[in-house]
Amino acid sequence: MKTTAATGGMVLAGPMLFDGWLAFADDVKTGYFETEFGITDSLCKKVLSKALSKGGDFAELYFEHTINNSLGLEDKKVDRAFSSINLGVGIRTVKDDQVGFGFTQELTEKSMMAAAATAATIANGSPTAISGKFTTVKKSDYYPLTGIKPAPLQPRLSLVESTADKCFARSGKVVKTIARFGDGRKRIMIVTSDGAKAEDLLPGSALSAMVTVEKGDRKEQFWFSRGGRRDFSYFSDEIAKQVAEGVVDGAIMLLDAVSPPAGDMPVVFGPGEPGVLLHEAVGHGFEADFNRKKTSIYSTMMGQKVAEPIVTVVDDGTWQNARGSINFDDEGTAGQKTVLVENGILKSYLHDRISAKHFGLKSTGNGRRENYANYPVPRMRNTYILPGKSKPQEIIEGVKKGIYVENVSNGQVNIGQGDFAFFVSQGRMIEDGKLTAPIKDINIMGNGPNLLRDITMVADDLRLGWSGLSTCGKEGQGVPIDAGMPTVLVKSLTVGGTKKEGA
Amino acid sequence: MNKQMNKLCRWVLDTAKKAGAKEAKVSLGKSRFVEIQYRDKRPDVIKEATTLQMGIDLFVNGRYSSQSTSDLRKDSLKEFIAEAVSTTKLLSEDPHRSLPDPKYYKGQIETDLKLMDAAIDKLTPEQKHSIVKAAENAALSAGGDKVVSVEAGFNDNFSESVMLTSNGFSGYGKSTDFAAVVSVNIRDEDNRRPMAYDYAESHFYNKLANPEVIGKNAANKALAKLGAKKIDTAAMPIIIENRNVHRIIDGLFEALDGRNIYRKQSFLADKKDQKIASDKFALIDDPLILEGLGTRPYDGDGFPAKKRTIIEAGVLKDFYIDWYYSRKLNCEPTSGSTGNMIIPPGTRSVDDIMKDLGKGILITDFLGGNSNPTTGDFSVGIFGQYFEGGKIVHPVCEMNIADNHLKFWHKLSECANDPWLYSSWRTPSMVFSDIVVSGV
Repeated sequence: MKTTAATGGMVLAGPMLFDGWLAFADDVKTGYFETEFGITDSLCKKVLSKALSKGGDFAELYFEHTINNSLGLEDKKVDRAFSSINLGVGIRTVKDDQVGFGFTQELTEKSMMAAAATAATIANGSPTAISGKFTTVKKSDYYPLTGIKPAPLQPRLSLVESTADKCFARSGKVVKTIARFGDGRKRIMIVTSDGAKAEDLLPGSALSAMVTVEKGDRKEQFWFSRGGRRDFSYFSDEIAKQVAEGVVDGAIMLLDAVSPPAGDMPVVFGPGEPGVLLHEAVGHGFEADFNRKKTSIYSTMMGQKVAEPIVTVVDDGTWQNARGSINFDDEGTAGQKTVLVENGILKSYLHDRISAKHFGLKSTGNGRRENYANYPVPRMRNTYILPGKSKPQEIIEGVKKGIYVENVSNGQVNIGQGDFAFFVSQGRMIEDGKLTAPIKDINIMGNGPNLLRDITMVADDLRLGWSGLSTCGKEGQGVPIDAGMPTVLVKSLTVGGTKKEGA
Repeated sequence: MNKQMNKLCRWVLDTAKKAGAKEAKVSLGKSRFVEIQYRDKRPDVIKEATTLQMGIDLFVNGRYSSQSTSDLRKDSLKEFIAEAVSTTKLLSEDPHRSLPDPKYYKGQIETDLKLMDAAIDKLTPEQKHSIVKAAENAALSAGGDKVVSVEAGFNDNFSESVMLTSNGFSGYGKSTDFAAVVSVNIRDEDNRRPMAYDYAESHFYNKLANPEVIGKNAANKALAKLGAKKIDTAAMPIIIENRNVHRIIDGLFEALDGRNIYRKQSFLADKKDQKIASDKFALIDDPLILEGLGTRPYDGDGFPAKKRTIIEAGVLKDFYIDWYYSRKLNCEPTSGSTGNMIIPPGTRSVDDIMKDLGKGILITDFLGGNSNPTTGDFSVGIFGQYFEGGKIVHPVCEMNIADNHLKFWHKLSECANDPWLYSSWRTPSMVFSDIVVSGV
């Protein structure tokens, strides 16, 4: 499952390269890059000076050491393991909104100076001075760990095997189960020419299962997962049970699914996973790089009414253990919660340092990147709509004919036109205010500003998706995010079914 | 052959064996990438990078693991391999895991597949900047006062790769790659700022399209999107523009994969030698075309590349089965890797075909969507041009097509004469009859 996003897109079931058994060399909590790789303040100053040797506003070093492993099961036993190590430093020089960027995988002075020389070529003036000393950025703790080292292998093997056993036990219709557990740790250190230094350890883990079910000559597949910025201590037997029930019950429901009619109709979004809607339809268009370049449909709407007063949209880096939470962003700005639309009024874009300077504002802590091989751009964290006052049941009861969306696998948006799409993997028809036949595998299309305007009811049951694998793609970079929403009614969207109404 | 890379890979194989692996495979890729991007007539991004990435597959007492790392310090690698071997021992045994039988390595390609252009060392930064400027200027003048933003870029890449196995396979490849891309946003009604792009990519610098043509095309494609609207839901013929055909074929392709067949997640598993499409549909995989963007001498298992017919006159002829899944499925392996995917072109132009179709939609972009490999159901957003009597009437947006692959490909009525060559998917525009297009 993937999107080809020249524009912006989100994938829920991404490639799973996570951690299994490899651990960092020791338990160093801070000063990791100095202890392990000899990265001292004086070396950083030397490299930053090189990056600003031809001028520029600021430069930054982004050190990364990531260890990911995963365990996989295809035939009832864990018979495969994957692990990866990513090590390097990215060096960026910024002049106004221009970027020079180089990176190296060798943390030696020689290699870093060469990468800094590349970054410096974006400017062509006289050197810019760098700060005399580095101050550590004050850090919150949005994803506390029970220990630095990952859990031993054996309990993790048991978790994967017991999840698969639970899937088979749940229904005789299950003919195949694929299960995986991934657990990764990313260590980063950011050092800037204006004197900030920030160091963090970001965990990420997820338990996922995919099943194939058969009934007569009909076959269906479904996928389900749970995770976030968590360590192994979260993955109890209860979570394994939730994953097994989610995936098997979802697949079985699809065995009776019908194709909905095609065309415009009201759509009710259930709580949680359908937050992808918000991510695509609204979130990407609010990223400030598109707005400073005036290529977003929202670039002339700041301060205007874009939705009914019941709608408040936030992008939040502070939700405990959520996959998109960050103690600080990849430019060293503190993690925070940003209100994008407040009671229907457009209040803020999502800023990195470049766009914040362009608009004369402070960064909102949305400067993010996939890894050291990429420079940061404005990206979402956990994006959701605040709960309203309606009850989910009354929203469904108010719809004469439409569809109810329960689960979404992926989506994409055209930033400039505001047109978006997302793929419904699980849902139901709504007929005369009641949920009826299951539906599946349909794409829904709409336009961002129209969608915001057409949200007419918001329920009180907000939750995030919590799949633990949601990944947003933009300009070839994937970053971990989450999205969520309460139950919401949208007056009209284009449903991509296969039948003409009445046919 | 890059001796230094080869030596490191050989050392990794020896280290893995010493640590207790029965067999091992190691691959090492190195690439040097340079990118220049312009916006508002000045450099927006300048990026340069050298990347090294190593992959190691370990086979230990009938157990298997796979790892990748960019930390190539020998001490780190040695520790990494030792830990990986000892942990692999704790996994469950998988009797199907092994390196391929070496008889499948025979017949390696010795000829020059023409993937390397010496021009990469001669191209100066000044030349690259002038390519990007020319493309940007062409887009700005073609777009006129409607332009909101133009981004133009050029990148080149030199890559080398080594793959060695402990049972005798040794492979090396190197290639260059050049690409130019321009995207243009223009101002439309209701704050809409439609974007369009054009690009060219080749292993050879002098095979790229003129940068001015790329810039002009991008602007004209954007202008063609002005005033897009939805039309009523209806069944009608569609034409999928050449460079986007692969977005729809991808869904068919997933079901040809041995892994999905083994996992009971393929709607094509029992369809070999059966008719799955109209007579007009042929699909050939040829990894040996000189200068091709999907050209490669060997696949991920080390099997020498060969040309294969996947679909012939609508009949499914072959699957993608790598060594591991061939053992699980108890059949002969074909290949788990693709090369250049070719749909033979027809004889008529898109314009000529449109004249015969009455009314329909020429699809120029897809948005979102997905395909279910177990059932073949797919649904995807479309953008394009509504035409009547051979003439474009207006652009369309926010619409969708949905179907099942086992029905959809039977509706293929014609391929145009315009194969897209800047991709490993060498596909012409394709015409389908009677497709439900959902809109209002």
